[in-house]
Amino acid sequence: MKSSRWLRLAMTLASTLLCLVAMAEQIQLRFVVWDGEEAMVAIRRAAEQFESRYPNIKVKLETVNANYQEKLLAQYAAKVAPDVAMMDPGNFQKYAKRGALLPLNQFFDTPGFDISTYYKEIVDPHSYRGIVYVLPRDIAPCGVVYFNKRLFQEAGIPLPKNTLNADGTWNPKANWTWDFFGPRPELREKDFIWVMQQLTKKDPKTGRTTQWGYLPAWSGLLVDMFSYSVGGKYVDDYEEPKKVLLGDTRVVQAHQYTADLSFKYGFMPSSVELSSVLQTNARQLFTQQKVAMFQSGIWEVPGLRKDLWDSKTGKMGFEWDIAMAPAYKDGTLRFPTGGSGYCILSQTKHPKEAWLLTQWMAGAPGMTAMAQEGLAQPAITSLAQQQPWIPDASTTGAMRYPENRIITHLGVPFVQFGPTSMYWSDVSGVMYQNHGKIWDGTSDAKTEIPISVARGQARLDVLQRNQKLGDFSWLSGAGVGVVMLATLFLWVYGPEFKKRRSSREKRENRIAYLFVGPWILGLLLFTAGPMILSLLMSFSDWDIIQPAKWRGIQNFSEAFTTEARFWKSIQVTTIYTVVSVPLGLAMALALALLLNVKVRGIPIYRTLYYLPSLSSAVAASLIWRTIFRADGGLLNLLIYGADGKGNFLGLATLLHPVATANGQVNWLGNESTALPSLILMSIWGAGGGMVILLAALQGVPQFYYEAATVDGASPWRQFRNITLPMISPAIFFSLLTGFIGSFQSFSQAFLMTQGGPNDATMLYILNLYNQAFLNLRMGYASALAWILFVIILIVTLFQLKMSKWVYYEGGK
Amino acid sequence: MAQNLSQDDHYARSVEEARKSARRFAVTNQISKVAVLLLLITGAIVFMLPFYVMLVMALKTQNEVATTSMWTWPASPSFDNFREVLSNPNVSFALFLKNTSFLTFISTIGVVLSSSVIAYGFARIEFAGRDRLFLVLLGTMMLPGIVTMIPQYVMYAKIGWVNTFLPLTVPAFFGSAFFIFLLRQFYMGIPRELDEAAILDGAGHWRIFTRIIVPSSKPALITVAMFSFMGAWRDFMGPLLYLNDPDKQTLELGLRTYMALRAEKWHLLMAASVLVVIPLVIIFFIGQRYFVKGIVMTGGK
Repeated sequence: MKSSRWLRLAMTLASTLLCLVAMAEQIQLRFVVWDGEEAMVAIRRAAEQFESRYPNIKVKLETVNANYQEKLLAQYAAKVAPDVAMMDPGNFQKYAKRGALLPLNQFFDTPGFDISTYYKEIVDPHSYRGIVYVLPRDIAPCGVVYFNKRLFQEAGIPLPKNTLNADGTWNPKANWTWDFFGPRPELREKDFIWVMQQLTKKDPKTGRTTQWGYLPAWSGLLVDMFSYSVGGKYVDDYEEPKKVLLGDTRVVQAHQYTADLSFKYGFMPSSVELSSVLQTNARQLFTQQKVAMFQSGIWEVPGLRKDLWDSKTGKMGFEWDIAMAPAYKDGTLRFPTGGSGYCILSQTKHPKEAWLLTQWMAGAPGMTAMAQEGLAQPAITSLAQQQPWIPDASTTGAMRYPENRIITHLGVPFVQFGPTSMYWSDVSGVMYQNHGKIWDGTSDAKTEIPISVARGQARLDVLQRNQKLGDFSWLSGAGVGVVMLATLFLWVYGPEFKKRRSSREKRENRIAYLFVGPWILGLLLFTAGPMILSLLMSFSDWDIIQPAKWRGIQNFSEAFTTEARFWKSIQVTTIYTVVSVPLGLAMALALALLLNVKVRGIPIYRTLYYLPSLSSAVAASLIWRTIFRADGGLLNLLIYGADGKGNFLGLATLLHPVATANGQVNWLGNESTALPSLILMSIWGAGGGMVILLAALQGVPQFYYEAATVDGASPWRQFRNITLPMISPAIFFSLLTGFIGSFQSFSQAFLMTQGGPNDATMLYILNLYNQAFLNLRMGYASALAWILFVIILIVTLFQLKMSKWVYYEGGK
Repeated sequence: MAQNLSQDDHYARSVEEARKSARRFAVTNQISKVAVLLLLITGAIVFMLPFYVMLVMALKTQNEVATTSMWTWPASPSFDNFREVLSNPNVSFALFLKNTSFLTFISTIGVVLSSSVIAYGFARIEFAGRDRLFLVLLGTMMLPGIVTMIPQYVMYAKIGWVNTFLPLTVPAFFGSAFFIFLLRQFYMGIPRELDEAAILDGAGHWRIFTRIIVPSSKPALITVAMFSFMGAWRDFMGPLLYLNDPDKQTLELGLRTYMALRAEKWHLLMAASVLVVIPLVIIFFIGQRYFVKGIVMTGGK
């Protein structure tokens, strides 16, 4: 045993030495992507081919499936960024404009490389002012209409065909089109809206829709297509916007028409009717044959094949194919697109090798590997028109579907990318907050869009004010840090200096510090530094990528005076905390008492009651969604009954003012019910508090109760006079940490509502998070964090002051 | 208060009365027992729902997940999803289990050892600056972690700890504010009589801690151990940030593979989630067994 360990050590040493020798010419590149499992298989295969082609370069492939940007930013800030990373048009500007990405044009003279072989339509959104920062690996035009052949045939509608121009390009005018004013029956199958109408079916008895004509995978997709196709734009310059143009009548009309297709015409399920059971709504409804057509990108194909292919019969559940999205009646066709690529981080020590890898992965080898899995449409024009991307005669079985894949290539000239400005996430985050009301039919585009334009333009104006700020002085920063630590030290120990101590007290002191010493050491080593740094950053303008700039107290004054969302989030968080903490505590106490009874099988009950705290948050959010759904949700079922005419406890009358289109409540989608819904959810998680109180209940000596029973004290008096005082330290703990935690709660709002509708659930930390990692305003976020710190501190001090009710058996 | 009640003669006189009233309440007692049982069962059903949904989805095929309600039991439940998750060569469950277990055991040991000792200092020893220092401890919980995340990452990168298990284990040995506070509350509820007797016997603080405090606060220590175990097991942001190598990943990171953008595989995600959660259910089941009446501390029985 022992000798084998020595042997292993020796071998390790030897191999390390060998490696060191080899490393003389070996270069390692870190390559990070956010792809899922299947794509990783393809990427790994391509990376291995790269390694055998360039034996001196080793590729370290890493995958980050969630919080990708946060990790990349942290790595960049710490100067340990990867060499090559995945990136997309919505995010690259944040890095590129701050100098974190290498301009790729410098490598374009590499022999055998030609940027013009790539679709210009996806190279452009990855460029800023003509300089390419991301080499695209795929393009995903969102003009793919999946259609159910069987339902078309049942309705007697001819299947869509491709009508091309003489030169083989798409002819938008000759294929189906649409118009803003409902169906045009005279055009029959050449009118997209008429086709939608024909494919919509209602149950004659109940009047409920049993089959819808069409559904976009997300409502913004249809708005984009309508707006772009009639010449509308959201901002004047997509790379560097100055003016918000959302108020353009054509854009307003596009929004309204999208809503009308649900509420006025009923050809399309509304977001209320969808209120997602699972995230992949459109595809799911399509496989269930509840919608006859849905529009999305080509990425739905692997999922559809899996859902519909029956390997026993070797057939699809129903025949389906894809068609090009319809053009506006004048023949203008525009739809959004997805796409992504690889960029080189400017911290790389091996730019040349990083380029070789980028060119390989976002070139023929990488793209072919991805296309083989049917995962991503190649960004190189020629590759997108041939095998393996386009099926030919040799393709069999499920892989043959969809046959009309050539439209992914034919559609490329019609794609339009949305704004790529680094400010867009910030501006759109403010701008779209009230749009939920358009999508649930409680308001219309004419009313809501002017509000969004005013908000968006105001935000854009603020962002454009290019302030000249001085550098952040790290020397004075360090000085401030030292002063702060010293102040803290003085505050803690100041009152102690004057006291004279006996030698016994001195000894006690020394022993006490042996006990608490580890914590003080940990505080100094791990906690204090980052905390002080964040306090310093709260006076700075810091985007994580570039060095911080001095901003004085402007972050604080911005929060208090100019940012409307700040006050809204304080209000929301306060209500949330003040209601949910006491309720949650009461629930935890009730559960703890219930689970403390002596009944057979109590260990099982305890475990079952704790399960929600262990189960996956995703599963929990799925359940809560079905509870809160407007259409057939459990809560509405309880209130309105199965026939929709019930009035449980008079709640239906009470809720009448907040009811939506279908006469029932869209709990998470309504401004006045969304926050109460989240509070209800939070009480569900009382399991943790329950365990603590249950543990505390074990410390109450049994004989107290026996004695009290003997004295004839009622159970209530026993509870008041024995149980409560004895577990009061634990209750106090739950209350205090409950407040601290609740002020900082985040995940429920993040998973369920993203702060909406109209900021009704914009919890403080959600705003802070968006500012920090979406808008890259870490300085401002730090200021927000320290404001919250002070609020929590005041609340905590108040609770400590009021803590006379806590009874410590062991004395203070 | 209780001490006065337990005087002996008083006690004896009352026993007879208590027996009488006990008989009187026997029927009511029976009814209340049934009520409690009903309440327990109803509650259990409600609280089981999320796990039930996880299990149901884990036992269905991908197609079934997409086409049937999440509440309906699968037509033919199958363990194929579990088999697929366990044998997936791209997301090595066994390796991730090994990493997660290692991280969890080390950090749980660290948190329990350090926090229990530190809490004793705050709860049972009078020392200079104690109350204000304790407020500093509470203060460390009040700043949102989002803004300390990047500075902390930079710090760990500077000392070369990134892509190692160190940032996820070493800090645990310096105590966790939340658990120190929790244990302090429990320690302060333990009567002083035994300490004083022990001090008379010449015992120092360390002996009081190990011989009196620790045995008397088993439920609290078990709670801390369970919570820190579960916290480390389910930690997501820590491993996500600090671990880069594919062979250093943890279970919670592995779960995300099944949630990747545009490729949600609910059936596999839920199967994997059930597998990840089951050890925690077992830990809880075992842990709560220690939630029985502790030693009676005042010696009055």
